[in-house]
Amino acid sequence: MDALLELRGAVKRYGPTVALDGVDFDLKPGEVHALVGENGAGKSTALGLIYGVISPDEGEVVIGGKPVRLASIAHAQSLGVSCVFQELSLAEGLSVAENIFAGRPPTRGGLIDWKRLRAQARTLLDDFEIDVDVRAPIGSLPVGARQVVEIAKALSLEAQVLLLDEPTSALSPDEKNALFRLVRRLTARGMGIVYVSHHLPEVLEISDRITVLRDGRKISCHQASETSEGAIVREMVGSAVDLIQPSKPRTQGDVLASLQGVSVPGHLADVTLEMRTGEVLGIAGLLGSGAAVIGEVLAGLARPSAGEVTFAGAPFAPGSFRAAKRAGIAFVPQERKTEGLFIDVSLRGNVVAASLGRHTGAGIFREASASRSARKAIASFSIKTDGDTPPVSSLSGGNQQKVMIAKWFETDPRLLIVNEPTKGVDIGAKQQIHAALREAASEGRCVLVVSSDFPELISLCDRIAVVRQGKLEGVVESPTEAELVDLASGPGTVADVRDRERVDA
Amino acid sequence: MTVAATQAPRQNHLLKSLLATRELTLLVLIVAIIIGMSLINPYFLSIANLRAVAIGMTPTAIIVIGMAILLASGGFDLSVGAVMALSSTVAGMLLVAGVPIPVTVIVALSIGLTSGAINGGLVTFVGINPLVATLGTMSIARGVALVLTEGFSVSNLPQAFGYVGSASWLGLPALMWITLLLVVTFDLAVRHTRFFRQIYLIGANERAAHLSGIAVARVRIIAYVLCGALAAFAGILLASRLMSGTPTAGNALELQVLAAAVIGGASLRGGEGTILGAFLGVVFVALINNSMTMLAVSVYWQMIVTGLILVIAVALDMIVRRKSNPS
Repeated sequence: MDALLELRGAVKRYGPTVALDGVDFDLKPGEVHALVGENGAGKSTALGLIYGVISPDEGEVVIGGKPVRLASIAHAQSLGVSCVFQELSLAEGLSVAENIFAGRPPTRGGLIDWKRLRAQARTLLDDFEIDVDVRAPIGSLPVGARQVVEIAKALSLEAQVLLLDEPTSALSPDEKNALFRLVRRLTARGMGIVYVSHHLPEVLEISDRITVLRDGRKISCHQASETSEGAIVREMVGSAVDLIQPSKPRTQGDVLASLQGVSVPGHLADVTLEMRTGEVLGIAGLLGSGAAVIGEVLAGLARPSAGEVTFAGAPFAPGSFRAAKRAGIAFVPQERKTEGLFIDVSLRGNVVAASLGRHTGAGIFREASASRSARKAIASFSIKTDGDTPPVSSLSGGNQQKVMIAKWFETDPRLLIVNEPTKGVDIGAKQQIHAALREAASEGRCVLVVSSDFPELISLCDRIAVVRQGKLEGVVESPTEAELVDLASGPGTVADVRDRERVDA
Repeated sequence: MTVAATQAPRQNHLLKSLLATRELTLLVLIVAIIIGMSLINPYFLSIANLRAVAIGMTPTAIIVIGMAILLASGGFDLSVGAVMALSSTVAGMLLVAGVPIPVTVIVALSIGLTSGAINGGLVTFVGINPLVATLGTMSIARGVALVLTEGFSVSNLPQAFGYVGSASWLGLPALMWITLLLVVTFDLAVRHTRFFRQIYLIGANERAAHLSGIAVARVRIIAYVLCGALAAFAGILLASRLMSGTPTAGNALELQVLAAAVIGGASLRGGEGTILGAFLGVVFVALINNSMTMLAVSVYWQMIVTGLILVIAVALDMIVRRKSNPS
């Protein structure tokens, strides 16, 4: 069968850096072909070539058997290539229907034909087993539904090739399963799908073939059924690594903070939990479960309506984020680009941003002292950078994440709250971040890790508290992933997982 | 990959290093204008002309300090020209009514502090866009100045009040010394104090600043108050120089100030710019305008040229950025 899409010997250079070095890639009708690799391996560059965002310096992009020079995204779309971006590209104020047909709504006599617009949007969405009002503004939908609208938008372009870039990073297991069912239906119709994700179990589940990139080179291309997660990881990082490092038991200290019957309307109901010095405590929960709100209550970002919070042995009701910080609480937010980092500011500026006072004497900010701190952070987190003055935007995602966490280590906190500590970072950085968090706990701090990445919590934490629909479902030690999923999403989902496994087998 | 990509091909090297710091670029251009113009018209370098330029740009140069700080924090203030006029008008009226000079100065300054606090409060606590908030206070301040005087200037101010506006210290206008003192002080403060460092962080990413424990609202409001106070101070100096309170003074000044600050390296996106750069932007525009006057180019053409310089400066900046940042 002819390929829908090919890259032939594609080379892309940025100055002396070779982002893509002679990569071959092809996509057949009806298959899911995954592209995997660590950050900086060349996945985004390859996607950019296919989607007309950048042009290759050497080699060719071939669509439908013909070499093409893609001039723009619109050009790629006209050739049947659509992309669902990692960061969604929807207009929040406009309706679902308008977003799906953004820029090319059906018209009658020069005016938008609203009736037809809605009907066509409805037809497209019927494929997705999702019940959304096509007149509702996008801003009112949950993230999973937005993702579906984004895919519907891509399909409305009558695409033959669909590029999915980290499509499940914000989805619940149910939403993910719905997406995968949709992907299978689309491929059954002959569509080809390029699937980019860090999440290897998913990649193995959904893909037919898997191409591994490392340092801009194609390392291998496997049938998904003939390879394993371990084999792919080894190819991604270039050396054997232990996937899961079991956490060492530590002597746990006194209770540092506690919640007693804490409720936050709409988020948490009657949560009771103790946090001890010297432990890494995980808070497991799906997006919107309220897991993150436990950290927000302690950081003064959410106000409980009932219940009691204590910190360091005394009742604690921080009136603001600053008050919580003064008490010795550090809070690493989930979104590094929008919440955690000053992306255009130097690495040094970012590292000291939460501890400016430590580098200030008589109002004067001491650059030399800030630089010492920054260089210390570079060394202790093994941050790959050319000194402490380049802006953090020039670092890779994993190194940016390290900077964001280092910023809060600088404040010498007693309680360190970390949200999704390794979201979208590569395996090497993940291990370094985990090591740093465990180190922080063994120094006698309490580390609270809020995450929806259950394998991460299992390997990192001493205990894991599971939150579902605002309620604490239990606190467990060394659970299996299935047990966590069971607690976090209710029994129904596990049944789904088993069904799926049976079908796959 | 971006780090390595900053090593650009050689032909771009000269352009790049020239544009590396905006201050340096402007300094080179300013020297070029001075040399060029002195060859064309020897009167350009005369003490009288340079004094006139220095005195003429005093209000803009003082106000641009506040504007550059606000821009760095991600805000801006359109009310500066009107606040300057109101401060000068009120100062004139109080003096004519026999109020002592120190009291007058304090009252006029507090007009700037108040309008700055109102601007800051509207932007920070009410959440009004700075464009709308300061457009409103601009209209109100100008309106109050005109209502108080029915549009006429207030003259016959006491002689003593005119001292600063006309004095020379060490052979240079006192106004110039005051301006330079403010520019140097604030430039150093912005570079080296913790407070102003927070301004840049807020401008770079307000949410991240809040989540770093920076008192975003407080710092923001102080920046607006500072800008208002500098505008009012410029109004007092203007009244002293003209020996009158002028409710119509500083019309469209806010746009000239914004233009000069952006030419000097500030950005409406926030997080960027220095006081020195903004000041050099003012000097550059003032010299260009003065040169055109010397060359008998009409005032109307001067507006066109200022606009062109603004657009070219920003466009060049964008091009250089895109080259050094290929993603």
